[in-house]
Amino acid sequence: MSKETQKKLEELGRKMATDIENEKGPEFETALRTKSNTIYDESIGCLRVGEKKEVRKFMSVAQARTFMQTVAIAAKTKQFLEQNLHTSIRGLFYQLKFSLGDDMDEDLFSEQSESNALLEDLEAALKLKREDLNLTTDRKGFVAGPMVIRDKFGGEEITIDCRKQGRSGWSIPSDVDNGMEIMEIEADYILVVEKDALWQRLNEDQFWKKDNCVVITPKGQSTRGTRRLLRKLADMKLPIYCFMDCDAWGWYIYWTIKTGSMNLAYLGRDFAVPEARFIGVTMSDIEEYDFLQKLTIKAKDVDLKRAEEMLSYPWINRHKEWVKELKLVLKTKKKLEQDALQGQRLTFVGDYIRDKIEKKKWLP
Amino acid sequence: MAVDIFRGFKEHSVAEFFKKNRQMLGFTGKIRSLTMVIHELVTNSLDACEEANILPEIYVEVKELGEEHYQVTVKDNGPGIPENYIGKALGMMLAGTKFNRYMQQRGQQGIGGSGCTMLSYITTGQPVRAISCNSGLRKEYEISIDLKKNKPIVNKLLEEQTEEHGLTFIGQYKDMKYEKSNKSPFEYIRRTALANPHAALTFKEPTGEVVVFPRSVEANPPKPYEIKPHPLGITTHDLLEFAQHYGGEYRKTSTFLQEVFSRITPNKIAELKEVAPDIDFEKPPTELIWEDAEKITKAFQKIKWIAPPMDSLVPIGKNQIEASFKNIFNPEILVVTERSPKVYRGGIPFMVEVGIAYGGGVKDAGKTGEIMRFANKVPLLFDSSGCAITETVKSIEWGRYNLKNFEEEPIVVLVNFVSVYVPYTSAGKLAISMEDDIEDEIRYAVMEAARGIQKYISGKRRATEIATKKKVISRYVPQLANDLSVLTKKPKEEIEKKLIEIIEKKYSGANESEEEEDELLQLEDNKNNEREIEGENE
Repeated sequence: MSKETQKKLEELGRKMATDIENEKGPEFETALRTKSNTIYDESIGCLRVGEKKEVRKFMSVAQARTFMQTVAIAAKTKQFLEQNLHTSIRGLFYQLKFSLGDDMDEDLFSEQSESNALLEDLEAALKLKREDLNLTTDRKGFVAGPMVIRDKFGGEEITIDCRKQGRSGWSIPSDVDNGMEIMEIEADYILVVEKDALWQRLNEDQFWKKDNCVVITPKGQSTRGTRRLLRKLADMKLPIYCFMDCDAWGWYIYWTIKTGSMNLAYLGRDFAVPEARFIGVTMSDIEEYDFLQKLTIKAKDVDLKRAEEMLSYPWINRHKEWVKELKLVLKTKKKLEQDALQGQRLTFVGDYIRDKIEKKKWLP
Repeated sequence: MAVDIFRGFKEHSVAEFFKKNRQMLGFTGKIRSLTMVIHELVTNSLDACEEANILPEIYVEVKELGEEHYQVTVKDNGPGIPENYIGKALGMMLAGTKFNRYMQQRGQQGIGGSGCTMLSYITTGQPVRAISCNSGLRKEYEISIDLKKNKPIVNKLLEEQTEEHGLTFIGQYKDMKYEKSNKSPFEYIRRTALANPHAALTFKEPTGEVVVFPRSVEANPPKPYEIKPHPLGITTHDLLEFAQHYGGEYRKTSTFLQEVFSRITPNKIAELKEVAPDIDFEKPPTELIWEDAEKITKAFQKIKWIAPPMDSLVPIGKNQIEASFKNIFNPEILVVTERSPKVYRGGIPFMVEVGIAYGGGVKDAGKTGEIMRFANKVPLLFDSSGCAITETVKSIEWGRYNLKNFEEEPIVVLVNFVSVYVPYTSAGKLAISMEDDIEDEIRYAVMEAARGIQKYISGKRRATEIATKKKVISRYVPQLANDLSVLTKKPKEEIEKKLIEIIEKKYSGANESEEEEDELLQLEDNKNNEREIEGENE
């Protein structure tokens, strides 16, 4: 992968050098990343960037600085790849935060925020991920269950058994593609649990052992690493079940896993898991489990607004089950947290999940 | 009121009349009166020098003698005044040399040197002092007016040999005020210098400060060619002046009109009689009273006349305006328009000259959005509102010429209205009346000059923009070259050199669209003018 990425970077430079030799201002093309150019692609089941492109030009006054910065990132990450060293975006920022010249009151980069959009440009233009450029991102997700990982890192190679990570679980790294491999997995399915608290509950209950599954928590919104891992697991034909709150935030986390986000639509299918299913909690659960009646909370405006928004998205309103669920939320103006399942009995959480999966009571 | 007073014109004296009616001569207000005195004297000096074909050198001094009490000195290098004329020239109302000829001359404006003598006498009780050098003699006089008889009182003080020539006038005035405003003598002199680049003017202010406006053109303007006055250009006041001065030579008013004015024939007299039936055209012209004169001049406006000749117009001239603007303001950019003569009121020829100076010395002088009005090269300092020049210049959409905040821009707009007959709004002769033909021509002329300024400003702005763009992009070249070198392993210096070449090429010949833009603006201006004119006709 590293060699391939290096080639892409060199190719980018070569194209610009050719432009210059032909007395043309250097430029490169990248996908237009706007809402209007973000489309839901039914054939792959996720959001992707449309066909519209934009050209970044060095000779444009408005773009000269950012163009120069983008190329600086390309050159610097090429060096990272050559040296086989990783760093965060912040690390990259400090590598590039130097004065453009003794007589100039201007730094190559003055703020980290400048580099984010440029990195996205580069990813979209070269059709690669920032992880491929040896740039690490924040980690957050945890894993427990019958999965064995091989990790080549810092000149060493180790094997990690996710069954033997105790109460903390295995922490998902920012890059699960380069130097990392799933050696074996014996689970029947993957369970994604929104909240760490619930994940700890299930880990303590040894749910993954009893139900032969891998339990993953993204701890809220999924990181890029978590999303990539889920994609890889889905590619191994493992069912992905998501267990979230029944509120705006929970839905959003689910749909990001399933179809990808608008922001990262240019990454397309590599970061989306269209196969994912939503097992709960839902407003309909109230009818099924009486005790939940009293455990609902009043929905906030943001929840209702989000529900309405979701009803307008074609990739959501094509599912009548979701339309029904969202309308129920809008009608009752209530929401339900996954933690509520512990209301009666702490270990009820596992029973609930088992029940949902067995009876195939999920939303697409 | 004025009519009643003028009725007694014969019995008393012209001088008495003007004493009571100073305002008719423009002597109103403390600041204005002082400026008007200087105006009368400087105008006389310029006319005298040009008449004698001498390049004018004029020295003006205002000295403060007490509270609201000043001494004005105007010294020229003209031909001087022979002894037998000095009294008439400076001590008798309506007796100037200018009635002998009628042409595009400054002196149509006021009552000349005698008025200044009179004003000195009535404000301080003092005679004025005149020093005339001519024919090898320097003669110094004290002059005042016997107001009752309109007779000069001349007292020769001194006579000595000299090689100089010229006239010096020294008068004292009270109840006046010197202020360095845009209506001050200083501004008057500055503007006179601007419109008379062949004259060298020096002004000494009451503070002792001396300002010199050197000559910028080494030749007198062509002498205006002499014609009889055309009826359409005559005011009541003019007609009475002529009647007083010339009337004695004619028995009948009808003959007087035919002889003294152009284009008046027996047929026209018949037409005038129809239009003004209660006027006795058979009575002696000297018996005409204000009311009669007023009726006759109104009748003049009502009938058709053959136009006066076009070639009687003498403008300042494009090169002269340019030279004097450079001399006085040294602006960053200067555009002068030269347009062919037009006619107003269906037949009176006139011409409009416009010069616009922008930035540079104009900015340094603190001038913003200043309109300098001239009629036949004479600065019009007062009564600016209601003047065709002011109103027209202000009505222009300056935003179209990159001068949106006209009032705050470092800009001076000179407009010189040239005509044998200047249609003044009042007897004070300080504002040009707003007539469609005149306003249109002023508008065209100003817009034409404004386009030149616009072109310059936008060109400059574009050049700055290009330079900025070039700078912005160029500063990133070394870093980009360095990084491209990392990516491609090509030498950094080579990439850098090439990039600089591309930038230089892209941001050099970027002025192509400029002429096109100018043409577009002109087209638009013409369209707007058409629209405005159409609108007025509807």
